[in-house]
Amino acid sequence: MTYLVKTNQLTKVYDGKEVVSAVNMNVKKGEIYGFLGPNGAGKTTVMKMLTNLTKPTSGDIEIFGEKLSNQSYEILKRMGTIIEYPIFYEKLTAKETLELHCDYMGYYDKKEITHVLNLVKLSNTEDKRVKDFSLGMKQRLGIARAIITKPELLILDEPINGLDPIGIKELRELFKMLCKEYGITIIISSHILGEIEQLADTIGVIKNGRLITEVAMDSISRNQADYIEVIVNDGKKAAFIIESELKIANFKLMDDNSIRIYDSTVSQQSLTRALIEHDVEIEEISKKTSSLEDYFLKLINGGVVHA
Amino acid sequence: MLNLMRLEMKKYHLGSYVKNAVIANLVILGLMFMILFISKIEGDPGLENYEVALSVIDSFVRAVFIIFAATLIAKLIIGEYKFKTITLAFMYPISRKKLIAAKLAIVMLFTFSMIIISNAIITTIFCIVSDRFELIPDVLSNSLIIQHIPSVFMNAIAASGIALIPLYFGMRKYSIPTTIISSIFIVAVTSSNTGNFTLNDIIIIPITLAIIGLGIAYLAIRNVEKVDV
Repeated sequence: MTYLVKTNQLTKVYDGKEVVSAVNMNVKKGEIYGFLGPNGAGKTTVMKMLTNLTKPTSGDIEIFGEKLSNQSYEILKRMGTIIEYPIFYEKLTAKETLELHCDYMGYYDKKEITHVLNLVKLSNTEDKRVKDFSLGMKQRLGIARAIITKPELLILDEPINGLDPIGIKELRELFKMLCKEYGITIIISSHILGEIEQLADTIGVIKNGRLITEVAMDSISRNQADYIEVIVNDGKKAAFIIESELKIANFKLMDDNSIRIYDSTVSQQSLTRALIEHDVEIEEISKKTSSLEDYFLKLINGGVVHA
Repeated sequence: MLNLMRLEMKKYHLGSYVKNAVIANLVILGLMFMILFISKIEGDPGLENYEVALSVIDSFVRAVFIIFAATLIAKLIIGEYKFKTITLAFMYPISRKKLIAAKLAIVMLFTFSMIIISNAIITTIFCIVSDRFELIPDVLSNSLIIQHIPSVFMNAIAASGIALIPLYFGMRKYSIPTTIISSIFIVAVTSSNTGNFTLNDIIIIPITLAIIGLGIAYLAIRNVEKVDV
């Protein structure tokens, strides 16, 4: 498997405090890597180190198979980035901003400017100064700037901050398109799970500077099975019936009254029938889905990994 | 390097600085005539001859453009750090050292060329006018001008170095006011003229200051690759 970005025991210490500790991150080529964590978890610091803005205290980073050093300037040509919030030379217009960016990056296809402004839905603001832009528009322009040179790796730190729901949806489509059609690998960070969930192929969860887990989305979905929860007057009796009558082993007695059945072959009707036939009173029966949100909240709050 | 300098100038619309420099020239010219007329009215010898007049013009010009240089430093370097646009600049596939060097080169070249050009313009206008209306009793001789030219060049070179000193004060807390105020302070010390004597006339002082300025620039460039932004 080829990894586009690999970090090895990446650590950053600010004023004696470990902000990022021993992060081993692996980003595959061509995937969208969601970087999830609460505010202040160290997401931005990791991304700053990936773009060589901040230098690691220890550990190292490998991008495009090359170790990052103080002199790694050529690598930056192949990357597009937004860190923290999009920063601009505010007196320039949108068009000038992109022109200047292309000049600095050594990219000379000026026709791209119109195209890319269209992509982020900023087409009629070419000659407007950036300082008159709203936060959402700045985000869009920031993204336009990051993708204009068709980089191989996009590093986007909280790119959807300040956008309205429609804007978020548009950009989600855009990111997916960039990943699929142009084969751009994207590392995207957010503290909003719902966003990452809908985008990412792999999720890295970071908390207090530590990468708690790194999992592929499809493997989480499989693990998070649905279950039927029944609340009865006599849990033990019900459990016995489920086991002996319905021949189901994959269930769990949660407490004296409630049982969770993970076996997906059993229907609610047959369960109800079996229980009633044996004089078990049912107070409630419902089908539940353990959502991704539960999964990640568990991870972030408890810090225990059992994916 | 030249391309980098061109991009920097484009980024900040530095053309407007030339316009401001023209305005500064007019102000200096106005001040020169004011000195002339006030001293005439008061009856004390302000600019008794061309030699004094030329050296006063040179002092004025240097003072103005050292402060100008500080505003450039504030804009090109301190401002980039303060407003975090430096993160943008450092994400380009360009050596950080080269980038900062290009910025400092703009400051030095601008200061140097503006001092020379302004000296030439102001001196020419001033001399034509005062010669015509016989405002200064002395006669402007060719030998005086020829003597004056090398000293203007030397002073301009020194001033381009001195102009970098505010960088040190400004970078400590990324403060634009500190940058400009420190330049005013430097100008006040080196260019103030008491009884036709300035500190700048003791040749070792401008040279030392210029070397300090270059040293500060070197320090700013040396560590730039290792620091976090």
